[in-house]
Amino acid sequence: MAALAVYTRRAHTPRAHMDRFRPEHFLPLTPVAFEILLSLAEGEQHGYRIMQEVGSRTSGRITLHAGTLYRALARLLETQLIEELSERPDPESDDGRRRYYRLTAHGLAVARAEAARLESQVTAARERHLLKVRG
Amino acid sequence: MTSRRWAERAFRLALLAYPRAFRVRFGREMRQDFRRVLGERRTIVAGPTSVTSGQSASAPHSQTAGTSDTRFTRSAAGRDAWRTVASVLVSGLAERRSALVRILFFPTDQLHVYALAGRPSMFRDTFIADVRHTLRLARKSPLLTALTVLALALGIGATSAIFTVVHSVLMKPLPYHESDRLVAVWSDATKQGRPRNTISPANYRDFQQMNHTLDGLEAYFSFVTPFELVADGPSEVAIGVTVTPRLFDLLGRAPLLGQGFQHDQYAFEVLLSHGYWQRRFGGDPAVVGRTLQVQNNQATVIGVMPQDFTFPYGSMLGPSGFTRSTTIDIWVPMAFEGAIAAATRMLTPQGQLVRGTHWLGAIGRMKRGVTVDEVQADLSTVSRQLEQTYPDTNGGWGATIVPVLEQTVGTVRGPLLILLVGVAFVLLMATVNVSSLVLARSVSRQKELATRMALGAGRRRVVQQALTEGLLLAVAGGLAGLLLGRWGVGALVALAPPDLPRVQEIAPDTRLLLVTALVALVTGILVGLLPALAAARVSPQAALQENSRGAVGGVFRHRVRTGLVIAEVALAVTLTIGAGLLLRSFVSLLAVDPGFRPEHLLTWQMNLPDRLRTQEDRIAFYREFLERMRSLPGVVSVGGTTRLPLGSTGLTTSVDIAGRPRPVAEWPEVQFRRSIGDFFPTMGIPVIRGRTFNDGDGPTALPVCIVNQTLAARLFPGEDPVGQRVRIGQSQPWMTIVGLVADIKHASLDETPAAELYVSHLQGQVVSPYIVLRTTADAANMVDLVRAEAQALDRDLPVYRIQTMEAVRADSMAQRRFVLVLVGLFGVLALSLAAIGVYGVMSLLVSERTQEVGVRLALGAHPAQVLTMLIGQALKLAVLGVVAGLGLSFVLMPLLSNQLFAVQPYDPVTLVGVPAALVIVAMLAALVPARRAMRVNPVEALRYE
Repeated sequence: MAALAVYTRRAHTPRAHMDRFRPEHFLPLTPVAFEILLSLAEGEQHGYRIMQEVGSRTSGRITLHAGTLYRALARLLETQLIEELSERPDPESDDGRRRYYRLTAHGLAVARAEAARLESQVTAARERHLLKVRG
Repeated sequence: MTSRRWAERAFRLALLAYPRAFRVRFGREMRQDFRRVLGERRTIVAGPTSVTSGQSASAPHSQTAGTSDTRFTRSAAGRDAWRTVASVLVSGLAERRSALVRILFFPTDQLHVYALAGRPSMFRDTFIADVRHTLRLARKSPLLTALTVLALALGIGATSAIFTVVHSVLMKPLPYHESDRLVAVWSDATKQGRPRNTISPANYRDFQQMNHTLDGLEAYFSFVTPFELVADGPSEVAIGVTVTPRLFDLLGRAPLLGQGFQHDQYAFEVLLSHGYWQRRFGGDPAVVGRTLQVQNNQATVIGVMPQDFTFPYGSMLGPSGFTRSTTIDIWVPMAFEGAIAAATRMLTPQGQLVRGTHWLGAIGRMKRGVTVDEVQADLSTVSRQLEQTYPDTNGGWGATIVPVLEQTVGTVRGPLLILLVGVAFVLLMATVNVSSLVLARSVSRQKELATRMALGAGRRRVVQQALTEGLLLAVAGGLAGLLLGRWGVGALVALAPPDLPRVQEIAPDTRLLLVTALVALVTGILVGLLPALAAARVSPQAALQENSRGAVGGVFRHRVRTGLVIAEVALAVTLTIGAGLLLRSFVSLLAVDPGFRPEHLLTWQMNLPDRLRTQEDRIAFYREFLERMRSLPGVVSVGGTTRLPLGSTGLTTSVDIAGRPRPVAEWPEVQFRRSIGDFFPTMGIPVIRGRTFNDGDGPTALPVCIVNQTLAARLFPGEDPVGQRVRIGQSQPWMTIVGLVADIKHASLDETPAAELYVSHLQGQVVSPYIVLRTTADAANMVDLVRAEAQALDRDLPVYRIQTMEAVRADSMAQRRFVLVLVGLFGVLALSLAAIGVYGVMSLLVSERTQEVGVRLALGAHPAQVLTMLIGQALKLAVLGVVAGLGLSFVLMPLLSNQLFAVQPYDPVTLVGVPAALVIVAMLAALVPARRAMRVNPVEALRYE
């Protein structure tokens, strides 16, 4: 939650909008934001699918509650890292129509930058034998 | 499954933590998700291996859920659901906080991103758009808008003004502590037609000591006394009331300055009213402690009562209350023993408290939890005991308990409620008028609406627009109405009859604001409702297809509009019938012969100087006074009395008839007055038999009296009253009736005259007489001359309440005039509103039928036929309205009956005349647009076909 607050503050600094787009301005992402971007990297999805996808991919280690998910979606929409597609019927649900989200070009760039940042950290960790060397 | 529904409900509540815009944007999705999670968790927990598989959530094996441990399943799912609810609540609050930060520190003109994808139901933005739209419309037709707002402002302002009066008078608690526990206690002389008779001092003491339901019972003289008072300079009159020393404690009011009356021992002290303190002593606090001379006794001023304190209200005074409207200047304490008690005739010559003469009013405080009925039962029991103990004086006397607010304002409840109903009618009519106006305007916008709907605006959106328009008009009307209401309250107070109880307590307050706001809101909804409903029924297809037809709405809209006009005419008929009945009553009342000639009569009240100790002194003084007044230029004759017809209340006494012995308790009650000088000739009261008083009827001569026709008819039916003998007390001398005079109206013009007995001032003492002076010219011009002459005669002769008899008569009708003027005003407003309504609808009808009229004219119809056709249509509406209005009148008019005089609620003249007048007004209103239709040029009308 605290990380999100930091994120929020930066996103709303007026200068952030004026600057030329630089992905590193958004780093580090909060875990939740990154998970959402990861989910959407597979293709457009609606909110509930994101929730399910994150849950299954992390084997339940990260549970996105509705509140967390939609606040994060709101921030990502705000900063134009994702965008909303028009409503359309959800084939799996009898609830009717749903909104779909997808990554924008900026979103993809930020996700890449975050992944690269994490990778460098993981590499450093491996060098210090914090991780088992993959076979 | 109920726990699931509970969880959903909780989730929905938790969503309220989010800012509105967020909720609107994401709420539905979040609810959908939550519902699915709820459904799914159960299957996940129950299913064997699918914990990580979201995909399999809806897989068939969920069917097997029932076979595993459902209790565990449910509780696990439940825990999860509640955890989600909690997290939603927390994150909602966090979102709200960051939204607040954004608004406060990073304000932007742009709508926030999640509001950008806004939907039509996002109230705030559409509301602003609707407001702008309405303002645009208003700017386009400023005159029409101004008239609309004015009509609403009048309706709303008048309603809240009248409501303020009604509330201040009828509903606000009296200015006493816990005034709902206070009751007025009267003696019940129902057998003689007076359930609220005053109490005798001895009976009061017994009521006080023998009751079990009151926390206290205090008494006051049920009439005001003009006290002669000397502060510095010549003596003057202060209107005062004598009260028991603990009365103000019972009422729960303490003096503003100084202290209240002593309880333990009697002292002749004076409490000043706030008004008198300001008026007479300039609000000087040093007046407390000063010694004044009151009725030739030294009295210390011990305190000043607060400004909002009033006691007694006029209607708390008994039937012998003396005058119609009085502001009290001073209060003095009542004595039950000693010299002052004897001087105020509280004691019999034997030194006992008087039981047979009734003149006290009493106020009791009910014990907590005790009801009025219980007090009534209690004091009735006490009365029965007293009847047994003192059969001579108490036979047939009971007790009557009245809540003190009822006692104070009960008589004006009817008239005030009539006004409230009347003004509500006017407001309703204004609403109906504006509503049909908005409707008419929305007709002209129908194509716009249809286009908007065809482009995807929901019906709800269109309805919102109509409601917004109504509300906006009402808000403008309400703001203007607030000003009008404030002003109206002032005007009402100025117009109100002086004897309207609590009139000085009427003031615009915050409640006026609240009522105005509420009335405006309801009005706004009413104004917008029908147009909104009509708008919702617009069919885009039909409206757009009817392109060339100058399309006007369908059947529904038509019906609504005609319905509104019929309603308007009905309301106007009812209101005008009410006004007509009141007017006819008032006219009948004006024509009532009071039994005396009020023209060229001047009247005033005065106190005889206290230095006139003996009856001889007083008789000599009167002789000189009458002589000097009579010799004034322009004076025809002069006389006086103790009770001024139409200007004071009555005083009764019971009489014993010689030769017909019966117990004192059964002596008939008659009105008792004294006559001074040439009272009967001056008033113009005809003498039917015998003679009037003359100088020969002195203190030592044979006691004589004069009676009126009603007394003669009641006490001596079929006999000649002249020569009969009566007495007014067992210790009083027998008096011979020497004259029979005609009846006069005493209490009011609409009463039946009471039995009256007159005694000469030469054979008894007169306190504070009313003098009447007949003049040759305008009586009002004599005021200064009379004052000067009185001063020249004796500088200690206070002359007060000087006015013409015409003014006294007018004052006696003030309450009726008040109601009449207002209801008449409402009636006129109603008529003009109805006329405007008919005119509006006919104009619209005519413009709708222009082409039809064109076709008719082209086919050879005579213009007169067209006129007849259109007028016929208006006539139909008017007649329907009149019939509905007559129906309403039949229900409502009986409520008016106690305000009517010599007119029945179903007065045929009014019931025929008013509707006829309304039909004529409707015809005239329809004539203007109908004539326009007659002049339609067929060629032009058909050009667009």
